[in-house]
Amino acid sequence: MAAILQIRDLTKQFGGLTAVDAVSFGVPEGGIVGLIGPNGAGKTTIFNLITGIYKPTSGSIEYRSKSIVGLQPFRIADMGITRTFQNIRLFKNLSVFDNVLTACHLSANYSFAEAILRLPRFRAQEKRLMAKAEELLSIMNLLDYRDLIANNLPYGLQRRLEIVRALALDPSLLLLDEPAAGMNPDETEQLMRLIVRIRDDFGLSVLVIEHHMDLIMGVCEHIVVLNFGEKIAEGSADEVSKNAQVIEAYLGTSEEAADA
Amino acid sequence: MDWTYIQGILMLAGINLIAVLGLSLLTGFTGLFSFGHAGFMAIGAYVGAWISASPTSTPAGMGLPFILAIVGGGAAAGVVSYFIGRISLNLKGDYFCIATLGFGEAIRLIFNNVNRFGGARGWPGVPSNSTFLTILIADVVAVLFLANLVKSRHGRNMIAVREEELAAQIAGIDVFRSKMTSLVISAVYAGVAGVFFAHYMTFIQPKMFSLTKSTELTIIVIFGGLGSISGSVLGALVLTALPEILRAFEIWRLVFYGAAVILIMVSRPKGLMGGLELTPSGIRKWTAERNALRQAKATLLAEDSGRKED
Amino acid sequence: MVQFLQQLINGLSIGSVYALMAVGYSLVYSIMNFSNFAHGGVIMLGAYFGFFGLTLLKLPFAVAFLLASFGTLLVAIFVERIAYKPLRERKAPFLYFIISAMGASILLENLVIATIGPTFRTYPEVFPKTPIELGPLAIGRLDLIIFVISAVSLSFLIFFIDKTKLGKAIQAASYNVKACALMGVNTDKVILTVFGLGGFLAGIAGVFFGMKYTVYPQIGNITTKSFIAAVFGGLGSLPGAVLGSVLLGIIETFVAGYLSSQFRDLIAFVILIAVLVLRPTGIMGKVTEDKA
Repeated sequence: MAAILQIRDLTKQFGGLTAVDAVSFGVPEGGIVGLIGPNGAGKTTIFNLITGIYKPTSGSIEYRSKSIVGLQPFRIADMGITRTFQNIRLFKNLSVFDNVLTACHLSANYSFAEAILRLPRFRAQEKRLMAKAEELLSIMNLLDYRDLIANNLPYGLQRRLEIVRALALDPSLLLLDEPAAGMNPDETEQLMRLIVRIRDDFGLSVLVIEHHMDLIMGVCEHIVVLNFGEKIAEGSADEVSKNAQVIEAYLGTSEEAADA
Repeated sequence: MDWTYIQGILMLAGINLIAVLGLSLLTGFTGLFSFGHAGFMAIGAYVGAWISASPTSTPAGMGLPFILAIVGGGAAAGVVSYFIGRISLNLKGDYFCIATLGFGEAIRLIFNNVNRFGGARGWPGVPSNSTFLTILIADVVAVLFLANLVKSRHGRNMIAVREEELAAQIAGIDVFRSKMTSLVISAVYAGVAGVFFAHYMTFIQPKMFSLTKSTELTIIVIFGGLGSISGSVLGALVLTALPEILRAFEIWRLVFYGAAVILIMVSRPKGLMGGLELTPSGIRKWTAERNALRQAKATLLAEDSGRKED
Repeated sequence: MVQFLQQLINGLSIGSVYALMAVGYSLVYSIMNFSNFAHGGVIMLGAYFGFFGLTLLKLPFAVAFLLASFGTLLVAIFVERIAYKPLRERKAPFLYFIISAMGASILLENLVIATIGPTFRTYPEVFPKTPIELGPLAIGRLDLIIFVISAVSLSFLIFFIDKTKLGKAIQAASYNVKACALMGVNTDKVILTVFGLGGFLAGIAGVFFGMKYTVYPQIGNITTKSFIAAVFGGLGSLPGAVLGSVLLGIIETFVAGYLSSQFRDLIAFVILIAVLVLRPTGIMGKVTEDKA
């Protein structure tokens, strides 16, 4: 299967600190890949590099075999890569509906003048955007909350809304940054099934950063393990869980494990 | 209290409103604060005066029709704002503020020193073309333009930039372009307001476009409530009319003004309308939000008590 | 050559006044991350306090001087309590602070216009106007005193920040106020100290400004230039504020002397724009980055 995303020798240095050190891996088209590692391992930094928020110090990032290094974040989003954030960045003061409607903007191309003069093309496309937003919210069971201010949503639903917003951009590659943070086991399981369903129904590829091991092991077909900015292991859930280095990175040596 | 007096106040409020609406787009909807918009008003005023003043007056103008003055003044302000935007829109929040302050004052100082436009003594003899009707028409156009802009993808993108710039970028929004569009439109509005101002007062002086004026405009936007067009309309009316009515207490007017600013910021920074609109759809939206909140709270409580019973 | 040195001396003189004003901006910015535009009004009040101390109360210079500075110290703290503390408590975005500061600035300026009146006042002559001759160069006695006192006050300030416990607390707070509070630092006291220090120096600056030029309610506008100097040197850095101010004073004087006095005020804004375009954090300012 072709890789929709391919990272080679990706390195990012902040002054004297090497946050990401020559990391290479790929996301197969239609696959769900997990990116795990202790805190500070460089996972979110890699997300920021992929989405263009940071520029790599060296190395390549290829999306559908084309380099996306140096592109502005909004262009990368336009090309089909979207993400959610570790510390939820919704449009907090807008309603649930408006959060999604705003993100639908790429599906319309009416001009400024057409908008101001309320020309037919504007009206028709706006209607379609609204229908799209409604449909997405409905599929993800958030339609009942459509008028609620995003900030007032319960935490778990805020995370779900962020995913809906990302889907509104018709992505081909979805990057999820700790989507299960703060969830109890029930919610985590719901999320797991949701991710698989999204991948199947929307035809996406998914790259997930997570600490919840049950989600990773249960959902990811391929796992990449980072520690201190370096890739220390890669493989299926089974292979990775048996890898000695991985165990050490998470649980430390036998002494530290005794303290844990 | 005769009609001409009231008319005068309304006209002044109407002129202020145009500038305030423009600034509302930049500050209220896009989240960028400017302390230099009096500078754009000045550009509009002077370019407008230059276009319409008679060639025989001192300083001399081109004697062209008023409508050209409006277009020219607005366009000039827009063009200048574009270059200012290129330089300053990439700066972080408060540095952008400082930049606008610097540019606003610089523009005023430049006009102070350019004798062709009257220098510090000003430009008397600007034709009195601002009528109640023309200002009213301009206001209506300004409000409709803004209202239609805000309820479109372009407007929503600006609002997204205000809410969460990083998330907006990730959502495929060209943040720089949104900010620039917002800035240029706000400058054009300010420029047009400046033209009307010049043709109402028939006399302009650089010191009319000071930092205090820029601050006044920003304060009106905040007073009306960020993100609310009806708030800006109300704010412009109230905050222009009130000082005029209190003109007897002229000396203390600005004292109370300053105190009022502090009071607003300290007690109700959300302003009068708090981001809501005084229109049928606005009211519907507000009630929908309230209902949704009530429902959500009820559902949570039900869930909670349900869980406790387990 | 002589003219060059003479201009240099003039530039240093105005630069040291700017420096006294500029550190006030930098101090507040370093802790609270906003530009305290009310500072100009406090400086203006310092000029008035000193003036009335000398003329109305007929106090000896040193006493009037200190009284004015303590007066502005109190005003600065008062403004903080009324206009900023409530915003701090509700964690308002920094832009609200700026608006509140603008309000305070408008309030102070017009309060003086409404009560005392807008007429310009001139300080009585405290030091003889005959300059000290240093060969072909002339150094005004007032300018020399301003320079010396500024240098002493600023050295003392920097010593205070560097070496005392409270000073270190201020430094810590300038990086992270919340963390500071968690470490047991009384952040309220730190903020009060910062405003008090800035206010005190504002008083000194105001008196000197009044003595060197005149006293009028719009002095606050001149302080916009000292604010630019603080940006130039790097908002949040005290040595930067001093450096920026001295440089601005010198550049201004040279431009006025060699080019045209009309450009004198404009050059400050040209510098501002150049700084913002090329290096917004100024010569010595601190750089902060947002975690994505």
